[in-house]
Amino acid sequence: MTLTQTASALDAGAIGRISDLLDEPDWLRTLRSTWWSRAETTPPPTGEEEEWRRTSLDALPRDVELLLDVPQLETEVPPDAVEAGVILTDLRTAVRDHPELVARYLGKADGPASHAHFWALAHAAWTGGLFCYVPRGVTVDGTLVARQMLPRADVAFHPISVVIAEEGSSVTLLEEVVSPDGAAGWYGGIADVQAGQGARVRYANLQQLGDGAWRIGAERVVVGQDAVVTTLNAEVGSRVTKLGLDVLMTGKGGTSKVLGLLAAGDDQQIDINTLQDLAADHTTSDLLYLSALYDRAHASFYGITNVRHGTKQTSSYQECRNLLLSPQAGAEPIPVLEIEANDILRCGHGATAGAIDPTTLFYAQSRGLDADAAQRMIVRGFFEQVVAKIEDETIRERILAALARRIGTTEDLS
Amino acid sequence: MALPNPALSQIPDSYKYGWHDAEQPRTTFEKGISAEVVAEISRIKDEPKWMTDLRLKAYRHFEARPMPKWGADLTGIDFQDIYYYVTGNTDGAAQSWDDVPDYIRRTYDKLGIPEAEKKYLAGVGGQYDSEVIYHNIREDLEKLGVIFMGTDQALKEHPDLFREHFGTVIPANDNKLAALNTAVWSGGSFIYVPKGVHVELPLQAYFRINTQNMGQFERTLIIADEGSSVHYVEGCTAPTYSTASLHSAVVEIIVKKGARVRYTTIQNWSSNVYNLVTKRAVAHEDAVMEWVDGNLGSKVTMKYPSIYLLGERAHGEVLSIAFAGDGQHQDAGGKIIHAAPNTTSLITSKSISRGTGRTSYRGLIKVYPGCERSKSTVRCDALILDDDARSDTYPYMEIDEENVTIGHEATVSKVGSEQLFYLMSRGLSESEASAMIVNGFIEPIVKELPMEYAVEMNRLIQLQMEGAVG
Repeated sequence: MTLTQTASALDAGAIGRISDLLDEPDWLRTLRSTWWSRAETTPPPTGEEEEWRRTSLDALPRDVELLLDVPQLETEVPPDAVEAGVILTDLRTAVRDHPELVARYLGKADGPASHAHFWALAHAAWTGGLFCYVPRGVTVDGTLVARQMLPRADVAFHPISVVIAEEGSSVTLLEEVVSPDGAAGWYGGIADVQAGQGARVRYANLQQLGDGAWRIGAERVVVGQDAVVTTLNAEVGSRVTKLGLDVLMTGKGGTSKVLGLLAAGDDQQIDINTLQDLAADHTTSDLLYLSALYDRAHASFYGITNVRHGTKQTSSYQECRNLLLSPQAGAEPIPVLEIEANDILRCGHGATAGAIDPTTLFYAQSRGLDADAAQRMIVRGFFEQVVAKIEDETIRERILAALARRIGTTEDLS
Repeated sequence: MALPNPALSQIPDSYKYGWHDAEQPRTTFEKGISAEVVAEISRIKDEPKWMTDLRLKAYRHFEARPMPKWGADLTGIDFQDIYYYVTGNTDGAAQSWDDVPDYIRRTYDKLGIPEAEKKYLAGVGGQYDSEVIYHNIREDLEKLGVIFMGTDQALKEHPDLFREHFGTVIPANDNKLAALNTAVWSGGSFIYVPKGVHVELPLQAYFRINTQNMGQFERTLIIADEGSSVHYVEGCTAPTYSTASLHSAVVEIIVKKGARVRYTTIQNWSSNVYNLVTKRAVAHEDAVMEWVDGNLGSKVTMKYPSIYLLGERAHGEVLSIAFAGDGQHQDAGGKIIHAAPNTTSLITSKSISRGTGRTSYRGLIKVYPGCERSKSTVRCDALILDDDARSDTYPYMEIDEENVTIGHEATVSKVGSEQLFYLMSRGLSESEASAMIVNGFIEPIVKELPMEYAVEMNRLIQLQMEGAVG
C-alpha cells in the first residue's frame, strides 16, 4: 500500500482513500464518511472538560503516519468454538467473510461522551481491529486470545474491537496490544462490547505499548438483562494513557464487575475516566481500580456512578486505591456519585492513596526478606484484590507476567 | 439562627424567618454594579485610598472572570438587578441594644438575639443588609485586648493590623465571587485574639437580609494570635421574596502557631437566596482550625470552607451538614491543602435531600510534595428521602507525596421502610419517625454545636421534614 497519511492531515478524501485501498463495500464507505463528519463536528477536547483536566493533548503526536500495513492479528480459538459458529478474527477479514454481521454491529452507537471525537475518528480511520462474535446460547470453553503486535512505534493506529455475545452465550476474551519502545506514536484503539440477555462475558484488555506511545482509548460495555460481565483493563505500557470507559447497565438484573490494574513508572501518566450508568432496575455494578506507582508516574482516576432517576434497587460500588512507591509518584483518585433515585439497595465509594505501611514492611523484613523483596511481595499482595477476581487462568498468568516487568516477581520468594 | 423563642411559633409560614420589615428611609443605591458604584461605596465609608484602589482592582477581576460553569445552576443571577449597598439611618454600630433603631431592633428581638447574648455569648454582632448595626463584647475580654467589631470600624480603628492581614488569605482575584465581595464588601466581623488569650464562650454574629434584590457582601477577618483560641458562630436569615437575593461573603481566618479557631455557621437563608461564599483559613505550626458548616436554607449554596495547613503538625477539620428541600441545591463540602509535614485533617459530611432537593458534596484533599506523614480522612454520608431527590459526591484528591495516608469513603442510603415501620409501631407519625431518623443521621455533627444551636438544628430539621414523607 502506498498511501501515507498523518492524523493531522486527514480529510474526507483521505478517509475515502482508506476505503479504496482496502477495497471496501459501499455500506462501509458510507459508514466511514458519516463518522468522519461526526469527528469534524465533534472537536477534540480542549482541556477544560472535567475528564480532560488532568491530561493535556498538546504533545499528542498528530503527525505520525497512519498504519496501513497492519500485521496479522494473532488469535487463539478453541476448535470446538469454531464449529459452534464462534468468530474471532481481525476486523478487515470479518468485513470480507461476515459482512452482514459486521454491518449489524459496527459503528451503531456513540461511545463515552468524554472521547466522542476519538470514537468518531476511529470509526472513520480504522485500519485494523478485531471482531468477536458468539452466537446465541453458545458457551465457549477455554479462552479466546487476540494479540496485536505493532511493527513500529512511530505510527498512528485506530483499531476497533467489536465483541458481541448473543443472548445466553458465554465467552472469555483476552485482547493484547504490544508495540516497540522508542519514538512517539498514537494508539487510538476503541472497544465496543455488547452482552445480550443472560450472556456471560469476561473481557480483559492488556496494554503493553512502547514507552513513547499515547493511548487515547475508549470502551463501551453494554450489559443486557440478567447478563454478567467482567471487564479488566491492565495498563502496563505507554507514555500517556487516557482511557474513557462506559459501563451501561441497560437491562434489568444485569451485573458488572469493572476491574483495573495499573503498574506505572518512569514518567508514565495514566488517566482513566469511567461511567457506571445504572439505568435499569436491580442492576449491580462494582468497580475496583488498583494502581502501583513508581518513579515519577502519575495516575488519575475520575469515575462517575450515575444512578438514574426512577430506577429501583440498584447496587453499586466504586473503589480506587493507589500505592505510591516513590516520593515523586502522584495520584488523583476522584470517585464521583450522582444519585437521582431514592430506592437504592447500596451505593458507595472509597478512595485511598499512600505509601506501603511501614509496619507491614518492617514485618516482612523481620521475616528475613530484604527491602526490595518485601516491597515486591507487598505490591503483589496489593494487586491480589483484583487478581483473585480473575477466574480465567490464561488471563491471570498473562497479566501477571506483563505486570512483572514493572513490579517484579515473587517467584524467588516461595 | 435564632435561639428557641416562643414568639416565633405564631408565625405560620414554614420558613419562620420569612417576614420582612416595611423598608425604612435609607441610603440605597440604584440597582447594578459599575466602577462608579464601587468607588461611591468606598467614598461613603470614607476609606483610605489603598482600600478604594483594592476595591477597584477587584472590580476589574470580577468583570474579567467568567461565571463558574461547574457546580450549581447560577443562571438565575443577574448582577445588574441587585442592590449593592443598602443601609438604614444608623450612625455606626451601636454598642447598646437601646441605641439600635426600633425597626431593626424588632427584627432582632423576634430572632431572639439580645436574650442569647445575655445568656450564652461572649459577644454579639448584627448585620442588617449592608451595615453592621450592633456590636458588643464583654468587658473582661476587651480588657484582655480581644477585638470584636464590625469590619468597617476595624479598618478605621486598627488600620495597621487590618492592612497586614486583609486579603492575604483570599486575594482579590481568587475567584469571581470573591472578587465581587472585595469590590463591594460592607460589614462583617473583625476579630483579633491576642497571644495566649482563650475566649471561652462563643462570639456570635447574626446576618439578616431585609431588602428585596439585596446583595449582602460581608467580609469577616479573624486573627488568632499564637496560643490563643476562639469560637465564632454566625447565623443567617432573610425574608421570603419572589425574586432572588445574593449573599456572597468572604471569610478569612489566620490561625497562628498553636492557636485554635472554630467557626460555626448555621445558614438558614430563605429559599430565594443565592449563597455563594468563599471561606478560607490558614493554620500555622501546631494550630487547629475547625469549620462547622450547616446549610439548611437558600435556593443555591456553593460553599467549600478551606484550610491551608501551612505549619508542621497543623490540624484541620470540616464538619459539613446539608439539607436540601424542594427546589434547593446545596453544593457544599470542604477543601484541605496539606502544605507541611505531619499535618492531619478530617472532613465529615452528612447530607440529606428530600422532595426535589439536591445535595452535592464537593471536596478536595491536596498533599504537596514533601508533606511527609500527612494524614487525611474524608467521610461522606448521604440520605435520600424521596424519589425526586438527588445526591452527588465529588471528592477530589491530589496526592503528590508518597509517605501519606489518605482515605475517602462514602455511603448513600434511604430511610429504610423497616426503620420507619418500627418507629411508627411505637406511636410516631411518619414525619416524626423520619425526622427522628434524620436527627440520628446528623447526630455526630449536631453534638459539636453549642447546645442551644443543637436544639434549634433539630427543630429546623423537624420543620423541614413536616409533610416530607407520604
